[in-house]
Amino acid sequence: MNPFLDIQGIYKKFGKDSILTDVNLHLKKNTVLSLLGSSGSGKTTLLKIIAGLETQDKGEILLYGKNINRQKPQQRNIVYLYQEALLFPHLDAFENVAFGLRLKKLKESVIKEKVDLMLKNLGMTNHASKMPSQLSGGQRQRISFGRAMVIEPELLLLDEPFGALDSSTRGKMQELFKSLAHAMQISALFVTHDLKEAIVMGDQIGKIKKGELLQYETKKDFFNDEHSEVHKEIDFWTNIKNN
Amino acid sequence: MMKKILQYGLIISIGFPVLFLLMLSIGRRWPYPALFPLEMSFSNWEFLQQSDSKLFQAFFISLGISLSVAFIVTSIGFLISKFIAYSKQRNTFLVLAYIPYLLSPVIMAVIFQYYFIITGLAGSFFGVIIAQFLIAFPFGIIIYDNFWNSQLKSIEELSYTLGGTRIQTYRKVLLPLSKNAIMLCFFQVFLVSWFEYGLTNLIGSGKVRTLTVSVFNFVTEANIFYAALSCCLLILPPMLLLYINKRFIFFVEKTNQ
Repeated sequence: MNPFLDIQGIYKKFGKDSILTDVNLHLKKNTVLSLLGSSGSGKTTLLKIIAGLETQDKGEILLYGKNINRQKPQQRNIVYLYQEALLFPHLDAFENVAFGLRLKKLKESVIKEKVDLMLKNLGMTNHASKMPSQLSGGQRQRISFGRAMVIEPELLLLDEPFGALDSSTRGKMQELFKSLAHAMQISALFVTHDLKEAIVMGDQIGKIKKGELLQYETKKDFFNDEHSEVHKEIDFWTNIKNN
Repeated sequence: MMKKILQYGLIISIGFPVLFLLMLSIGRRWPYPALFPLEMSFSNWEFLQQSDSKLFQAFFISLGISLSVAFIVTSIGFLISKFIAYSKQRNTFLVLAYIPYLLSPVIMAVIFQYYFIITGLAGSFFGVIIAQFLIAFPFGIIIYDNFWNSQLKSIEELSYTLGGTRIQTYRKVLLPLSKNAIMLCFFQVFLVSWFEYGLTNLIGSGKVRTLTVSVFNFVTEANIFYAALSCCLLILPPMLLLYINKRFIFFVEKTNQ
């Protein structure tokens, strides 16, 4: 059976710098793949290529077995979320969530119903009429999720979405995303440089380093790989405990 | 206290020249050492209605040229500046944009003049619009340059991945967000064009008589009362723009926050 998303042999160079080298990746429907990678590893470029915002030099992107290389970003139904919430500053929270639905020119009653439900799921009903500048960082990120999820994308690409949040808000957002992703049967690529977050958020884990990607079939494979840095982390906390 | 002094200082520094011009425009006969003109009447203002004065005509010619230049630069500059801001040659384009100001518009006009004569554009209304456009367009690019940044590019890309076409993204995201930059560019370019003298005089070849050109003519004729009268007309649109800017744009922005 073909995977839902199948990426085959992606190469990308910027000038003489090789950013991605023979990247292969596959994702099952309704699962979340965490992609671990440090700054400059090429993870953002990979997500942008999948979203159609960058073009690869070589390689194929297959969605449901269909090649989407030539499709424009607006035709792919793949939403790319940045580290910042990037709410539209001239629209209130309700209109931000409704943005994608309005582009599709749905009936006003349908838009209202869907947005109200999404705001309820996000716990943001009371903030619907607030402008982005009146919301906290966590609230802005919730609205950003809602805006992406309400249009029911085939795939959600999250580029360190909780990177700018404090640890407490980050934990809450992780929980919220997991429950929403499960409830709405969302398929996603979740990029992070945080090992713990990668394990918590992903059904599967991949690691990208200097443009090369290694995808582990199970979390156990990731745990057993001596290069995955899980053991380093365990040793660190064991030493703290013993001392 | 200091703030109040500064506020009053600012009001006086703007208000005094305006009041002085108004007084001069209604004045007649001002021999030394009289503190004020000996006669005050609106007879100078009747000069505006006289067909041979052509001040009203000059006012509307200036208005037509400045509005055209401001509209063309604002709309074309918006699109071109985006291309330049995200281009790898951004710095090269910006250096080129400063050239008209390093050389000064009058020197540019001398360079242009030959081409305007052989194309028959010299001394025509459209010739002056084109000449002013060539000077004001780089200025528009410089104004817009700071507006296009990586965050705005990300917002634009986000709109695409949410399903927005280019037109939808411009209409629903980029244009609403760029309202201030567009207004700033329009006002600034309008003012550059409105007060432009050297280039307009040279390319217009004396046949396109704008308000600024008329003011200089009255000044060279040492007719201070008519010069003040035309100056009153000259400062009218900028004052109106300043009012619109403060009253509507700035106010609306504040209430949206």
